[in-house]
Amino acid sequence: MLSFIVKRIFGIIPILLIVSVLSFMLIRLTPSDPIRIIYGNDLDKATYEKYRALEGFDDHVVVQYGRYLWNIVSQGDFGKSYRTKSDVAGQLMERGWSTAVLTMVAMGWAILFGLLAGIISATKRNTIWDRIGMVSTITALSVPEFWFGMVLVQVFSVQLGWLPSGGAGTWKHLLLPSLTLGLGVAAVIARFTRASVLEVLREDYVRTARAKGQKERVVVWSHVLRNALIPVVTMTGLQFGFLIGGASVVESVFAYPGLGALLVDSISSRDYPVVQALILLFSFQFLIVNLLVDISYGLLNPQIRYD
Amino acid sequence: MGFEKGMEYLRNRKWLGMLLVLMLSLTWLTACNSNNGNTPENTEAKEGNTGTNAAKTEEPAPEPEPAPVPQTLTVGIEAEPTSMNPFNSTDGNSTGVQGSMFEGLLKLDQNMKIQPLLATEYVVSPDAKSVTFTLREGVTFHDGSKLTAQVVKDGLDFVRNKDNKMARASFFSFIEDIKVVDELHLTISSKDANSAMAAYMTHSAGSVISPLELDKKKKDPNYNLDRSPVGTGPYKFAEWKDGQYVKVVPYDGYWNAEGKAKLESITYKPVTEASTRINMLKTGELDIVKNVPSLSAKELEGSADLDISKTPSMDVYYVGANITKKQYNKDVRQAMNYALDKEQLIAQVVNGYGRIADSAIAPNVVGYTAQTPYAFDVEKAKELMKKGGYEKGFDATLWTRNETEFIAVAENVSIQLSKIGINAKVVPLESGTMFDKLDAGKETDMYIGRWSPGTGEADWGLRPNFHSTRIPPNYNNSNFYVNKEVDKLLDEALATPDAAKTQEIYANVQKIIFEDAAWTFLYSPESIVGKRKNVANVVIIPNGYMDLNNVTKE
Repeated sequence: MLSFIVKRIFGIIPILLIVSVLSFMLIRLTPSDPIRIIYGNDLDKATYEKYRALEGFDDHVVVQYGRYLWNIVSQGDFGKSYRTKSDVAGQLMERGWSTAVLTMVAMGWAILFGLLAGIISATKRNTIWDRIGMVSTITALSVPEFWFGMVLVQVFSVQLGWLPSGGAGTWKHLLLPSLTLGLGVAAVIARFTRASVLEVLREDYVRTARAKGQKERVVVWSHVLRNALIPVVTMTGLQFGFLIGGASVVESVFAYPGLGALLVDSISSRDYPVVQALILLFSFQFLIVNLLVDISYGLLNPQIRYD
Repeated sequence: MGFEKGMEYLRNRKWLGMLLVLMLSLTWLTACNSNNGNTPENTEAKEGNTGTNAAKTEEPAPEPEPAPVPQTLTVGIEAEPTSMNPFNSTDGNSTGVQGSMFEGLLKLDQNMKIQPLLATEYVVSPDAKSVTFTLREGVTFHDGSKLTAQVVKDGLDFVRNKDNKMARASFFSFIEDIKVVDELHLTISSKDANSAMAAYMTHSAGSVISPLELDKKKKDPNYNLDRSPVGTGPYKFAEWKDGQYVKVVPYDGYWNAEGKAKLESITYKPVTEASTRINMLKTGELDIVKNVPSLSAKELEGSADLDISKTPSMDVYYVGANITKKQYNKDVRQAMNYALDKEQLIAQVVNGYGRIADSAIAPNVVGYTAQTPYAFDVEKAKELMKKGGYEKGFDATLWTRNETEFIAVAENVSIQLSKIGINAKVVPLESGTMFDKLDAGKETDMYIGRWSPGTGEADWGLRPNFHSTRIPPNYNNSNFYVNKEVDKLLDEALATPDAAKTQEIYANVQKIIFEDAAWTFLYSPESIVGKRKNVANVVIIPNGYMDLNNVTKE
């Protein structure tokens, strides 16, 4: 197990390198001009040329990449934001916390509602509960996040005045965005849980357990769920990676100061150092989540071995 | 198994409980975390080196005249500011925030007239090559340092020096030399005659910043001037929390007793989504929102606790075309002007919050003279197309910025031009990309442009767009408009110190440009500010700046 983890961690490094090269090159291929982005359009030609040289944009692109990578590896320096002229690393740290909290809480909602709905739907198959559960998950999957968020704001902020419609700072600020973000994932988890539980319920060992006269509660809990949850864990892990993408939309709608909103703003204002750092960070997160999912497999089901 | 039973399992399960606890603690943690960042407001506003008390320090007054409780103001801005250094920012969100902390030698009032600020008066030399400023006495910066002529000179020298890599380095490129006459007098001179020199000193780039801060920056090039604003304004910097807000609090030592800050603090919050900004205004999370989309404006106008104020902006929207191509000859350009129903365009694109552009510059710009707009006359347009040799029309590409209003304008223009045979394919481009393409100037065909002169006077409204020295690459005359007469008049106007005379020359330039149909002239939008009704004394300058220095809140 340990050697597996170490191997996987070393496997992450080349992937991140490739991602960093790709993001660096892609951005260099866009027709926009970094000097104009950093300093605005208010420069005459001579000043422009001088700044270009001072900022190192006259160097060969390979030299620029080397400098970029070296700064990251040697001192964790991801460069300075074109837009706010502050250190990218510091900006990410500051906002990373906000996003981490938002995603965690959203994931919490998603697991809570998703598992509940899925288990109830499966164990009460073809009853009204099942129907309600499945219709609402289809609905949740179909509505666009930003629309759902706006509806929540209209109802709870503008009409009722209970919750703030944007910004951050208190637990109240977190409720609407986390619910909005968690909704889609909850639906996925619910459908997945239902299917998975139903499949396991048909297994021979469940029939055996019931035949032995065990209480339904014990059957469902200790025999069914344990096995049914393995695919759900995978699914949840993957969804976690996707949540980061979802966070961009939700954070923008709720003016929530997280990494997602930062990504949207940075792309629209062509703040490349920030975009590059975010691409790296998101890739890293995705890889780590995947690793954790694989590890939790083994913990959930001792039969799965990594060698 | 029954539903109740199922619920019972779940209730009994430890992991569910754990999850709930985890989530609650997380939410609670954020709440704590975010409160840590807030400096307690009572530590602010107690710089007692001046005799005046902040409204907060409650001295038992002899007469119980209840002082108004100071209020906080929250302003919604469209994006995170880039910098709090006036020398290094070119975006309106930054300059809007800086305006409460920094002051320049002169300022523009609501009617775009130049008014004294840190300078009490200025005298332009007869040859229009130099201006001498007299500084106000007794002005101090937020860090206690004094305003002198040397401080003003050092600041301007700093921003002009390209080694300092300031975004506004070219802004003052007309300056040749700055002489300190004595402690309160300085003379700024330019190479060529330049009657607009005083107007340049009203611009945010001409803000005066603390000599102590400049020294720190000169000693250590890595010192972050962008995050440590120290000026002479009625408010001083308190905190900038990334992605959340910039906050300013009153400065007790402000030189102007009447202009002292009347609020406990002003907080500027970046909210990028327009609809979210409007919602936050409705709920009272924001007190003021600039640049309200015209669609929302209608809704706000009918609201009980909100109102809007409309000000004609200095923006002019136009269609530019690459005049070096033979299909954009004068007849065709005039045809394009006749072919467009500007009324309909304004109604559709900005819901009527705008006026037809009747010159290359907007009415608020100093030096503006109205021209007679091209009537909406498709028949006449067709005749002109025929005269210009394009009776059957031609295909064109119409670049536009990929922002809602720009796309709407482009689509409207494209549909209207098709009536005279010009089939313009709308190509939305990311704004920076579009500027880069226009600056390169190689592929330019037609494009939707918007121009607003930062100095609020005609030279900056006309020279960048119509002077032959400004054609691409790298310059803004993306039309490739070359007219020797216009060049001559523009230079002459700058060299004329007499205001009435310059007005006359500019009137002439505008007439030539308009009759020449150098652009297809569209409209000037109104800038709409939405605010809560209990907010008073917001002053909106037509150049887009919102002066909040005297704002009060009930």
